[in-house]
Amino acid sequence: MERCKKRCVRFQQVVLLIAAIFAFGLMASPADAQKKQPIKIGVVSPVSGNFADHGLLERIGMEMALEDYNNEVLGRPITLIIADDETNPDVAARRARRLVEVDGVKFLMGGVSTSTALSVGAVAEEKKVLYIATNQNGDQVTGESARHYVFRTPPDMAILVRAGAKYVADNLGKKWFFLTHDYSWGHSGTKWARNMLSTVGAKEVGELKVPMGTRDFSSQLLTIRNSDANVLVITLGGFDNVSLLKQLNEYKIYDKMKVWYTLADIVDVFAVPAEDRQAYVCAEMYWKTSPEMQKLNERYQKKYPRAASPVIDVNTYNGWLSVKILLEAIKKAKTADNVEKVICAMEGLTIKDNARKTPTYVRPWDHQVLTEVVFGKYNPVPGNDILDVKVTVPADQVARTKQENPVNVGCKK
Amino acid sequence: MESLILSLLLNGIGLGLVYAAVAIGFSLVLGVSGVINFSHGIMYAMGAYFFWVLQGHIGFWPSVAITPLLVAMIGFVIERVLIRRVYGQDPLFGLVITLGFAMAVEELIRITFGSAAYSISAPSFAKGVFSFGDFIYPEYRLFISVVAAAMLATLWLLMEKTNFGAVVKAGMFNSEMVGALGNNLPLLRTIVFVIGATLAGLSGIIAAPIWSIKSQMGTLILMPSFVIVLMGGLGSIPGTILGGILVGVSTSLATLIIPRFVDIIPYMMMAFIIYFRPRGIFGEQNIVE
Repeated sequence: MERCKKRCVRFQQVVLLIAAIFAFGLMASPADAQKKQPIKIGVVSPVSGNFADHGLLERIGMEMALEDYNNEVLGRPITLIIADDETNPDVAARRARRLVEVDGVKFLMGGVSTSTALSVGAVAEEKKVLYIATNQNGDQVTGESARHYVFRTPPDMAILVRAGAKYVADNLGKKWFFLTHDYSWGHSGTKWARNMLSTVGAKEVGELKVPMGTRDFSSQLLTIRNSDANVLVITLGGFDNVSLLKQLNEYKIYDKMKVWYTLADIVDVFAVPAEDRQAYVCAEMYWKTSPEMQKLNERYQKKYPRAASPVIDVNTYNGWLSVKILLEAIKKAKTADNVEKVICAMEGLTIKDNARKTPTYVRPWDHQVLTEVVFGKYNPVPGNDILDVKVTVPADQVARTKQENPVNVGCKK
Repeated sequence: MESLILSLLLNGIGLGLVYAAVAIGFSLVLGVSGVINFSHGIMYAMGAYFFWVLQGHIGFWPSVAITPLLVAMIGFVIERVLIRRVYGQDPLFGLVITLGFAMAVEELIRITFGSAAYSISAPSFAKGVFSFGDFIYPEYRLFISVVAAAMLATLWLLMEKTNFGAVVKAGMFNSEMVGALGNNLPLLRTIVFVIGATLAGLSGIIAAPIWSIKSQMGTLILMPSFVIVLMGGLGSIPGTILGGILVGVSTSLATLIIPRFVDIIPYMMMAFIIYFRPRGIFGEQNIVE
């Protein structure tokens, strides 16, 4: 009896303790768990392949943006889940689908190729999650393939080409030869340059399309050299471009004509010796254009001294800006669980502390983010100041109008 | 137009010699040992990377001398540790083991040097161009064409004019008989593999200043090499040279006529040649045999 008493008391104590733990758990768990549940951002970005270094740079930018927000928004931590898209649209779609279905992400971003933006955008629409294309410039993303669930941070090729075309025709030459990377982004660049021909009084002399993965441009450059063009208009990027930049000088193209890149990533340019940097370029940003950008650059250099680009480049900046846009939209919507509310909050969003002269504006009807672009000439001298900026153009002055791009994917129809 | 065609033709021959120099080691190892050596591309990449690192410290010519030796040593170790295990086995084993090794080294290069591309300047003595009217040809391209031709000629002399070459060629057809006649077959295979690695390393050095360097460069050169070997015939030096030049010249000239399809021309040529001659142009056995 005595033994039972002792045992029963102990048993009662244990039961009470368990009950207390459960009761505390029941009281605390639903609200706290909801509050502290991380907001997952699925990053579909190249970790391997032709654009792996560009992918790494955009992810660096995303991490920098998270630091700015102390890694939380609305009191909830933020987690980046990285998936390698291999710069392959099929792989990108598969990885995006997995991020949504298995990891439960509601927000996707990343990528450096238009074709992956299109495939991930289709998944985003199907799964009703928000996707921000961070470094894809092909027109389709916010043009004929625009979707309610897709936003695009970088300018499209129309903005870039229009920002530079007049300067090129007035100052460099009016007989243009196009060298085009043979996929959707390359086609966009050449299409818009071709569209500008009559506006700026230039004429087309020829075009050569080269597939991705081309390392030797000697025969193309010999053909171009033999034409009577005075401007070579190039829309070509990635590792291929490092070889091209070298071979432009090797085949003395600069002695015969001026070279204009409709869009240049400076990370490619740092890979070649100073004497190979002679082209004119349109670029999305440059690290010296404002004191705020220089501060951002200092942060970048301090934290990532071994990154592929020695100064902050467009991939990093766009990764940084994309996260900022998303988090500001979540703050404005006061929720990270209702994707539709976040989309509507993102439309019309203006971000002033974007380290640029022009504020960033998210255009509601096509989901194109507008800031500014620069046009300049590479400095053929060693060091990090590689671009002599000639013109800075606010993107809204040269972006496609509603008449040119008759889509409406906004919340307000 | 004539000067453009002449420029393209010369350019194609130069390119072809470089392609052949890359492919010949691949061809030899496949011919003598029956191993589809997918680590050949990574030897080529190692040549470029070692050269890039060394050049910054010890200059151009010492780096040219030391780099192939380093790649040869690595080739020796790989042959002893990995390749030796798959001799006489199903060719698939060799393919898988060398591909796995190549992927691991590629990742190691990426971890060590990053995923960014790098470029190497052509040496100062070959930075100019030869030009007459509209004809133009870069001096460095001529230099590497001569080097590639010298590499191929040396190998041809070794294979055609020495006892060692005779044994190697015999080993391509009946390796067991070569062994039974008292030749040290394992040593022979090791030497051939090391020669292949050395040639790949040298090719990486000469190609780096024109094509730049990146961790995936080894993987990217593999398929053109394979195509050239199949076109020319296994283990055939003249066949590999001819295959390389055919690829170089056809892709160069095709820029004038069908520029968008330049990339598929080598594969179409390979399909055409193998359809009519499964052993390749100068080959005496096909890959299945």
